Amino acid sequence: MLVSRIFPLRTIRAQYSVALVRNNSTQTDPEHISIPKRIHRSPTDILNALSKTVGQDPTAAHYKYHDDPYLIPQSNLQKRIYAMAQESGRKAARWLRQEHRELFQHSEADPPIKAFYPKMVFTEESEVDEKCLEGLIYDSEVTDATFVYTLMQTKGMPVSDSLKQSLLELLCFFNHTEPLSPELIEERWFQQSLQGKERQRKTWKDGELAELLFTELEPKTSRTYAAIIRGMCKYFQVERAYALFQEAYEKQIELDVETYNSIISITNFLKEAAEPRWELCQDLLNKMNAQGLCPNLGTMNALLSSISSIGNFRLARGVCLQVLGEFKELGVEPSLASWYYVLTTFCRERGPVSHVLVDILNEIEGKEFTIRDPKDTYFFVTAMDVSRNHLHDKHTAKRIDKLLHHGKNYDLIGDSYKESIYYRHLFALLCHTEPLEEFMKTYDLLVPNVYTPEPGIMEEVVRAVETNGALEYIPRLWSDMIIFDHTSRESLVNLVLKIITENRPSADIPTHQDLEERFNTIAWDVYTKIDEQSGARTQRMSFTGQMLGNILSVLSRGKEFEKAKTVFKKLDKSQHQIAGTPSYTSMVEYVDLCVAEKSPTEALDCLEYCIENGLDNVALARKIKEGFTLSEMHIAKLKNLVGDDILKE
Amino acid sequence: MFLATKLIEQNARNFAPRLASCHCRKLSTDPHASPEIDNDEEFRVLNLRQVQAQARPKRVIKKDVAAPPRANKMPVDQDWGAVWPGPKTFHPASVPLPLRQGYTEKAAAPPSKYGNAELMKIPNFLHLTPPVIKKQCEALKQFCTPWPKEIPSEEQWNKHFPMEVITTDYCHGLPTIRNPLSRIVTIKFKLSTLKLDKHAHDKFLRLVGERYDPETDVLTIVTDRCPLRKQNYEYAQYLLTALYHESWVTEPWESLKSEADMETYHFIRNKSKVSAEEILNWGKTEGGKKLVAHEAFGKSVENLMNEGENEYNIQAYKTEALKLLGLPSLKSTSP
Repeated sequence: MLVSRIFPLRTIRAQYSVALVRNNSTQTDPEHISIPKRIHRSPTDILNALSKTVGQDPTAAHYKYHDDPYLIPQSNLQKRIYAMAQESGRKAARWLRQEHRELFQHSEADPPIKAFYPKMVFTEESEVDEKCLEGLIYDSEVTDATFVYTLMQTKGMPVSDSLKQSLLELLCFFNHTEPLSPELIEERWFQQSLQGKERQRKTWKDGELAELLFTELEPKTSRTYAAIIRGMCKYFQVERAYALFQEAYEKQIELDVETYNSIISITNFLKEAAEPRWELCQDLLNKMNAQGLCPNLGTMNALLSSISSIGNFRLARGVCLQVLGEFKELGVEPSLASWYYVLTTFCRERGPVSHVLVDILNEIEGKEFTIRDPKDTYFFVTAMDVSRNHLHDKHTAKRIDKLLHHGKNYDLIGDSYKESIYYRHLFALLCHTEPLEEFMKTYDLLVPNVYTPEPGIMEEVVRAVETNGALEYIPRLWSDMIIFDHTSRESLVNLVLKIITENRPSADIPTHQDLEERFNTIAWDVYTKIDEQSGARTQRMSFTGQMLGNILSVLSRGKEFEKAKTVFKKLDKSQHQIAGTPSYTSMVEYVDLCVAEKSPTEALDCLEYCIENGLDNVALARKIKEGFTLSEMHIAKLKNLVGDDILKE
Repeated sequence: MFLATKLIEQNARNFAPRLASCHCRKLSTDPHASPEIDNDEEFRVLNLRQVQAQARPKRVIKKDVAAPPRANKMPVDQDWGAVWPGPKTFHPASVPLPLRQGYTEKAAAPPSKYGNAELMKIPNFLHLTPPVIKKQCEALKQFCTPWPKEIPSEEQWNKHFPMEVITTDYCHGLPTIRNPLSRIVTIKFKLSTLKLDKHAHDKFLRLVGERYDPETDVLTIVTDRCPLRKQNYEYAQYLLTALYHESWVTEPWESLKSEADMETYHFIRNKSKVSAEEILNWGKTEGGKKLVAHEAFGKSVENLMNEGENEYNIQAYKTEALKLLGLPSLKSTSP
């Protein structure tokens, strides 16, 4: 049984003046009551208005996660795992419904929701007809539509030309592969990072049903050509696409704007060199003009994308400006994708510094965007990249960030991969250019719920803390590093250890009050973490002499004798496993602690270790001699270690 | 014997390849040598079923460190509406208030908010704080039209629009958007707004029965017999119209109503009036002006008959009767 919470949404109490009831006509009202017309609103307008009153909460995780400390992900890996786990649960439910469809024959929903029903399953025996095929094409069920079509062919059933055309369009659009379900939001969010790598490869499936349909369709109309050409362009079957385009042109079949756009977008594959490529583009535009076609945003973006890959910087820049001017005259408003191409054209790694980003920002600042081109999502990440690596300017970066958080622009951030790269650039830039206190405010606001810094960024932050001498941030950063699972990065751990060893908190500064104690905890943390995993199969980090030396000095300073003893024992016992030797100063600090704690045995052990490892031992021996009143046995040992000379002094 | 050892050997090969095969081989070739082997090593049993697996040391699963409650990080001047935007179950880590609730045996403080089921059970209104309500009202103002200037007060509002129609929409956590309860339509209005004469009023009240509340003078008609709200609303309209017109109809048999059919006692229609007037006009000549029993007397008789005898009614009847007969009140005559 379904347990549901039903509650009255609203109770309307409307007051009416009904002819019958209004009997007080004797007391006639001279005045006329004018009731204003109802303000029209869509079903979701109220919800949208209410949701706009809700601001950002920096302490909360994204709403897809459960609001509970145990279930809020901290590291990047956790974020991915938690979201995908939820999605996988949904997938499992869907699979179950599909596998045991006989159990889900009831229909709860009213009006019926098609997405809640199990999918039709087609076999060789299925009764199929044109209507069924049409429905499948309408629902973009690529594999099922292909199967039904072939089944109809084998059964000798006729298929109308218009249906064949729509099937051709479907197959060309999806390249015979089932698209990822639009319901799998998380999978899309985390998956698209892979798509960037394979986007420039030929993926068109040669000799499949689409091409068969294309040859079958007679006479070939412009729509037939358009479908196959666009499909081939989309999946980079460039030669054949261009050949078909030529064929259509020779046959004087008039193609539409979108088809021209897709041909323009592959010109960088057709012509390698810059000049011929631009000539080809111009030729195509002239053909469009001759046909009386008006170019649109797609044409502009295709042209700009083709230009952005031209190696000749000067030519690319000139042509790019020319295109922008031309389309401005045409009244085509550029989308974010256009600006993305402009950025890639102007701001190149080896090219001169260009301030085009500032001009673009002047143009688009304060506007709200919706997606108009698939590449629109590349703008923000590229702009941030430019302001970090090209301009090194935090003001531009802040302007970009403001634009991103304006209205619904955040929808155009793309996917998790682009989002984290965006923030990586922002953090790296602010870390270098902002005063540390300002930067830490941004850090507090965004970490860890919006962005989890990668180890590289964390290292930069820690370095910035070191150069500013702001030791009070170290404990906070260390606890973040534990949570983000950075403690297995040797360089990071060494850096933190180095900082807490080399910088002693002073008692004068109020923010340094309990810092020494916290440094002890950090040092002990490092020790236990590495020690714990030393037996494990996947050992990611091992002790070095330097590391243990640093831990030892921090603990010695903090008067943690028991812990220091453990660390030294580790250093002494497993000498053969530990690479390198600790610094001499850490040994001195340990001996000082031993003196303070009146433990000559440990001090002598330390001396013995120093002798074995070729560290300066004379001063240390002298320290021990002066610090303690040694017993016979200890004197004998000392004599044994350093000889009579020191004792005689 | 030989056969038996052969069998053992075979078994050993089949099931326990780890078993030192030299034992078996020795056993089969030289059965007398077995005691010596037992001496230096414990005899290992051929275990075909593998009853008990070797106990492995349990792997200690390390749990991830949970972050501290996020309430600790919240600044005092934060926008609470953003933290708690909608209704949800109480969660101690997200609410930065030192709440306590629950029963304790001794005179101790109630349990704190962590792991406190009492706080989770009750519905909370953390999403409806006054600033949030204010903000939401501001956001909804864009959908509101101004109030008509011609009707400033509620009184006038009720005068112009006397009828109230009440319907309810429901919101579900279900795939269906239908709720059968939303079909119900209630209409309410004051009976005084209808133009009815005494007979029609009486008949109207008889027809509506319990739907009329005499204390507030409000008539309530609830219709729910049709499947759709619109149908129910129209049905309610029809009912009202039918009632109104029906109450104005006087059937021929209504004139046959005799004194025995009366629901209440009416002074004018009864013997009491005749007798009182007879007494008043005692010995008056035929042509002289006849005296009529005054109204207050009739009222007191009616009260006495309709409400029953009680001290007040009897007392009132007494004074009125004395007044009627022109006698001095008893108080002044009594000794």
